[in-house]
Amino acid sequence: MTAGIGTATAAGAGKGAGSPSTAERGGGAPRRGPFGALREKRKQAAWGYLFVAPAIALFAVMGVYTIVYGFSLSFAQWNGFWPEWNWRGFRNYTDLLGGSPTYWPIVKKAAVNTLWVVIAVPLLTVLVAFPLALVLNQVKRFQGVLRSVYFVPYVTTGIAVYFAWNYILEPNGAVNLLLKTVGLGSLQQPQGWLGNPDTALATMIVVMVWSAVPVAMLLYLTGLQSLDSSLLEAAQIDGAGWLRSTTTVVWPLMKPITVVVLLLNVRDSLQGFQSFLIMTNGGPGDSTSVLGLETYRLAFLSELSPTLGLASALGWLLFLAALVVAFINQRVMRRMG
Amino acid sequence: MSGETLSPPRRAGIRALDRTVPRTGRRGPRGRTAVRTVVGIVLAAYAAVSVYPFLWMVSAAFKTNKEVQEGGHLLPHDPTLRTFADTWNKLDFFDYFLNSVKVTVLTTVLVVVVYSAASYAFSVLAFPGKKWLYRLFLVLLFVPGVVTLLPIVLLESKLDILGTHWGLILPFVNGSAPLAILLLTNAFSSVPGELREAARMDGAGELRIFSRIYLPLARPAVITIALLTAIPTWNEYQLTRISLNDPHTYTLPIALQAMQSQSVVQYNSLMAAALIMVVPVIVLFLCAQRYFVNGLMGAVKG
Repeated sequence: MTAGIGTATAAGAGKGAGSPSTAERGGGAPRRGPFGALREKRKQAAWGYLFVAPAIALFAVMGVYTIVYGFSLSFAQWNGFWPEWNWRGFRNYTDLLGGSPTYWPIVKKAAVNTLWVVIAVPLLTVLVAFPLALVLNQVKRFQGVLRSVYFVPYVTTGIAVYFAWNYILEPNGAVNLLLKTVGLGSLQQPQGWLGNPDTALATMIVVMVWSAVPVAMLLYLTGLQSLDSSLLEAAQIDGAGWLRSTTTVVWPLMKPITVVVLLLNVRDSLQGFQSFLIMTNGGPGDSTSVLGLETYRLAFLSELSPTLGLASALGWLLFLAALVVAFINQRVMRRMG
Repeated sequence: MSGETLSPPRRAGIRALDRTVPRTGRRGPRGRTAVRTVVGIVLAAYAAVSVYPFLWMVSAAFKTNKEVQEGGHLLPHDPTLRTFADTWNKLDFFDYFLNSVKVTVLTTVLVVVVYSAASYAFSVLAFPGKKWLYRLFLVLLFVPGVVTLLPIVLLESKLDILGTHWGLILPFVNGSAPLAILLLTNAFSSVPGELREAARMDGAGELRIFSRIYLPLARPAVITIALLTAIPTWNEYQLTRISLNDPHTYTLPIALQAMQSQSVVQYNSLMAAALIMVVPVIVLFLCAQRYFVNGLMGAVKG
């Protein structure tokens, strides 16, 4: 199969190359003096551009245009049908950040909800995934099978499983039933877990953690398995128990992985909103509205109101937030060496 | 210094100890059993949590609508295949299924072809502007999809591909660029440079080196990227929902959405449809998981 792909690329790229045969012939030539080296360098550069050309071409059409367009739209007012944009400078941004009595409350509520998600999801993911990987690393016999089972949430996450969650979170759904069976009937939610404004956001956070744990667990497991076992050995000889050696030796060594897990999940929970769009659509009321979802709504679900510019501006604010997070992450990584 | 010559057997000894020490340790046989039981319970409990929604999805798909509405038990009292058959026949599910397969396969193949070529250039070839281009693609990782969604729709209506499957495939491919380039460039960089030099001495050109040496050696990463593209594409909902209008072009997520937005949600048919959508992904994952796990691990180490 890989060979097939290779030849397909060869055919496609060969057409653009002009004279691929000469290039092929000279490919293996050893260096012959400064002039030859220069030619060699040029040829390699030509091949380099050729190999990235399809990616760049697609990016030029689907990326550059859309990004430039989206960015300029964030400074305008438009409803998608007006023949012209109504330029308003930074007003979209200032409106979103407190200036508009209509949009500021919406954004504020969504920002608070998003903040909860951005804090809770990464932390809980680490809190579940790290111990799970530790325990899984202890067993030898069923490790492969269990790892696959633990991967089911990651593999299946999408609209189908979101609907399955909706189904088991219903008033007479499986979660309430389970609580009754184990004698915690008082915790049942008669309106359903997503129907009660007080539990809806927390429930969504649980669902998000459920789908984020598999990758985090796998990353930790990889880290644990590449751990130098003599370190643990030394700690145990020094009389440290399992818990002690885990917290003082293993956990610090897993720091780089923790940073990656946190970063991935901060980004996803900052920008991702598919689960919210499908499962709650922000409701009940505005109890599960998040910034990504509000952006989508302003762009596509606000009928004829001229909110497309606002949607763009909100999206770019999210981009900025993600960049800040990435920057902080890089600083932290560097400090850890 | 003599310790260095001794070290391989000593290390082996430590490794052998390793297997015995934590088990015998300071605990007696009874303590060992207790620990094992706790470990077993924790592992089994999380396994149950992982598949819990999925179990109820399967359960509902084999129930009648009446039984689903009554709720209350996991195992269907009177398992039926009717729900499946009805869902499959009634809603042109086969067409939706084929549409989903088409979009997913084309997107995945394009991602693998376009970005493995680009990554080969980024990791192996020297050309001016390389670093800059590479960084540009990585920054894209942080551009929220929702920002470009609207411009994509407007652009596609100008290009007259809005509502077609290509109108989905092209943005999906472009959207996969950062992750694919990151992962594949890492994988190609870990291929020893001597192999390339040796092949060049034998007169092989770049295309040959790329397709015969680098691609096969980076197979785990390539398969990982294929899966990491295929799964989200199969499930994609945000762009699909706003661009597809003609029911003939619908993919599975939109079909599911249409079922859910009926006035009364029939959870048994909805779950049957969901199961039809999820099973191919699980099969795909099980087939490729050996590579997938290795590929992800390689990506982290790189």
